Amino acid sequence: MKVNPHRFKEFIVIAVVVAVLAVLPVLGLPRTWLLYIFLFFIYLALANMWNLLSGYCGLISLCQPAFIGLGGYTLVIFTWNGLPLYMGILGGAIVAAIFTMLISSAVFRLRGIYFAIGTLVVPEALRVVFFIWRPVGEQIHGKGAGYMIKGLNDVSMTHIYWLAIFIGIVSIVIMRLTLSSKMGMGLAAIRDNDSAASSSGINIFKLKLFAFVISAFITAIAGSIFYMFQGYIAPESGFSMKWTMTMILATVIGGISTEEGPIIGTVIIVFLHFLLARYAGISLIIQGILLIIIMLLAPQGIMGFARKTKIYQSLLRLTAGDSI
Amino acid sequence: MPQEILLKVSDIDAYYGSLQVLWDVSIEVKTGETVAIIGANGSGKSTLMNSISGIMHPVRGSIMFDGMDITMMDPYQIVTLGISQVPEGRRIFPDMTVYENLRLGAYNHRARPKREQSFENVYQHFPILEKRKKQLAKTMSGGEQQMMAIGSALMSDPKLLLLDEMSLGLSPIVVNELYYVLKEIRSKGITIIFVEQNVRRTLEEAERAYILETGHVVLSGSAESLRAEEKVKKAYFGA
Amino acid sequence: MNEIFSDIATPVISGILLGGLYTVIALGLSLVFGVMKLINVAHGDLVIFGSYFAYSIMTYLGFNPVLSLVAGIPLLFAVGFAIQKYFMARVFKRSMEAPLLIAFGISLVFENLYQILFTPMSRGLTTSYSLESFILGDIYIPVVYLLNLIVALIVMIALSLFLKKTFIGQAIIASSQDIRAAQLMGINTARIFCLTFGISAAISAVAGVFLGLTFPFTPVSGIPFLIIAFGVVILGGLGSIIGTFVGGIILGLAQTLGAQYISASAQMLILYVIVLVILAVRPQGLFGR
Repeated sequence: MKVNPHRFKEFIVIAVVVAVLAVLPVLGLPRTWLLYIFLFFIYLALANMWNLLSGYCGLISLCQPAFIGLGGYTLVIFTWNGLPLYMGILGGAIVAAIFTMLISSAVFRLRGIYFAIGTLVVPEALRVVFFIWRPVGEQIHGKGAGYMIKGLNDVSMTHIYWLAIFIGIVSIVIMRLTLSSKMGMGLAAIRDNDSAASSSGINIFKLKLFAFVISAFITAIAGSIFYMFQGYIAPESGFSMKWTMTMILATVIGGISTEEGPIIGTVIIVFLHFLLARYAGISLIIQGILLIIIMLLAPQGIMGFARKTKIYQSLLRLTAGDSI
Repeated sequence: MPQEILLKVSDIDAYYGSLQVLWDVSIEVKTGETVAIIGANGSGKSTLMNSISGIMHPVRGSIMFDGMDITMMDPYQIVTLGISQVPEGRRIFPDMTVYENLRLGAYNHRARPKREQSFENVYQHFPILEKRKKQLAKTMSGGEQQMMAIGSALMSDPKLLLLDEMSLGLSPIVVNELYYVLKEIRSKGITIIFVEQNVRRTLEEAERAYILETGHVVLSGSAESLRAEEKVKKAYFGA
Repeated sequence: MNEIFSDIATPVISGILLGGLYTVIALGLSLVFGVMKLINVAHGDLVIFGSYFAYSIMTYLGFNPVLSLVAGIPLLFAVGFAIQKYFMARVFKRSMEAPLLIAFGISLVFENLYQILFTPMSRGLTTSYSLESFILGDIYIPVVYLLNLIVALIVMIALSLFLKKTFIGQAIIASSQDIRAAQLMGINTARIFCLTFGISAAISAVAGVFLGLTFPFTPVSGIPFLIIAFGVVILGGLGSIIGTFVGGIILGLAQTLGAQYISASAQMLILYVIVLVILAVRPQGLFGR
């Protein structure tokens, strides 16, 4: 196997960064700092998975909160039945993946904006389902009560923090592998021209489904890890549109359809959270305004903008060395 | 009396997406003239028409109408100034009645006060439209739809009428009828530019013509002189 | 015997009346979609804007919510006009996604503005008549439900007269049928789009008031009502006012019958499932593509 020297260098850089971030809690970094790093990796995974669908498959998915909520609730059901946490996380991912396959035959008939609206209905419907249905535990008076996640006593915060780093990195690796594989090329063909891709023998349905399932799987895991940290899930938060907003914003700010975009965008989003930590409502308003401004002025985001500049081009040549 | 220049297209370059369609095209039309633009498919005829009516804007060059620079104006402004285009393919409003279609022709504020008079005028040219005025546009024959499209354009009280492929897909009898009406319209002092593929017929109807080939004006002159031109004979009449 | 009859008749009658409300909510969405081929994801939030505006006028100035429309209609018209002019118009030609994402951003801004101004608590427009019912044989029907149907008829008639009889209305219809041809008729389509969005928002002001009289609402109620409006539009077909009315009544009936015979708390879920099923069965067909 040929080792690409550029790839290798990149791998080393990532490994060092991850190692440094991973030992931070052991070194006794303040907890709020760790919280922001934790959020960064969770949001990064979510943004990457949204970018995979919207930026590379042309599927503007608004149903990602469905996967987050399903992940969180499966974790609840598992842990309340005495099953281990990890099995719960994996179970949630599998439930989300199966759910995706079930709805795919319906939503894949929709194109463009219809797909967006069709997928918007899904988390709303699930929110109502989990508002009515108490899958485990005693029936209580009134509806819509949330659940504590059990079995968290033996799990340290550091542990959850590591999990977040793990899923964030996994999402990056998945993007890299997917896009450099044959599938990536097929996806590019879908995005550029659906009908041409289908006539050239690419099985669009299969490719889209594959991307959708991967996206659901990883999103559900990221959601479960988030709710492990939170310790509590309720239907209004688990299936909330605010999740969609976060991933759209992170991707669009950084640059949709670019691999680096979600990373840069997520840094900015988390920084915004940090700045406006006490004003959650205002923070969301600012995020909404930011999204509008970016769509109006720089729809390709920071990466799209950067790619046009000479500095980036020369930087690329510099880091790539002879491999390009 | 020396005729004044009504429309002056000077050295325009136009693009369709990233593809250049018109190269340095200039045409001039005097008040009251009937001028034809001749060319094969893809020669840039429709692009030229669309540039004049403001649907597209040229990248270079200018378009003057009635002493005003209309190069970058929007279609609705240009219609108000007095240029009305009957687009290729009879683009009408299929789910509206004939009456409603015609009435929309007088949408611009210059034409609105003269609406009743314009209706009379159109019905006089095309009596059938008055008979069919309550009918939905999509239920009429192709020829009737074309009459209605021309009628709508006349409703806007135009000084200059642009007709893009008027006779496309119509029977010779209908085409004859349309040309007859065009003569009446001309006699009222309305300037006409029409685009056609049928060169023989066009050179009979127009006073002057421009011949476009792959986006360039390759020949121009009076209809008579063009008919005599060797190149035209060879290319279009197979002589 | 009588009881069984009223068991069925109550949800049927209230469903039809409720359908009136859904029609008014959906008309604005249908209008914008029909003319600009744009699904305004912020539509529900504009409706809720109308509800909160009426709520503020009622609470702080003491006016009847219906009366507040005198100011609410022009205000929302201006908001809609501005959204089209300053946001949507700029990204229209670029892609399908850009207007969608901008509408999404607008929706988020509105939602959180409501949260800050009015708290996440659920509100309602409670008036002297909002809790009253009238009796029809054995059936009790809330007065507000009857108002919903009356208002739906008024809005439908007003809108269709406007579209049919006025120059601007005809220009709106022309633009929806063929933009290029409309431009060649001398219609300033950019302006027509702004007016259309404005009218859609103005109808939302009406919808918002009657929604507030009928149901409690919260800052995040926009999404459920967007989905209902969307369902009504796909059921009823595009560009048809009567079709929208039929779609509204079907969803209204589905909700009240579902509440009666399946479960009251699942009524929204039933609506969502219906919308998803229609989408799966006839995704674009109902739009007449």
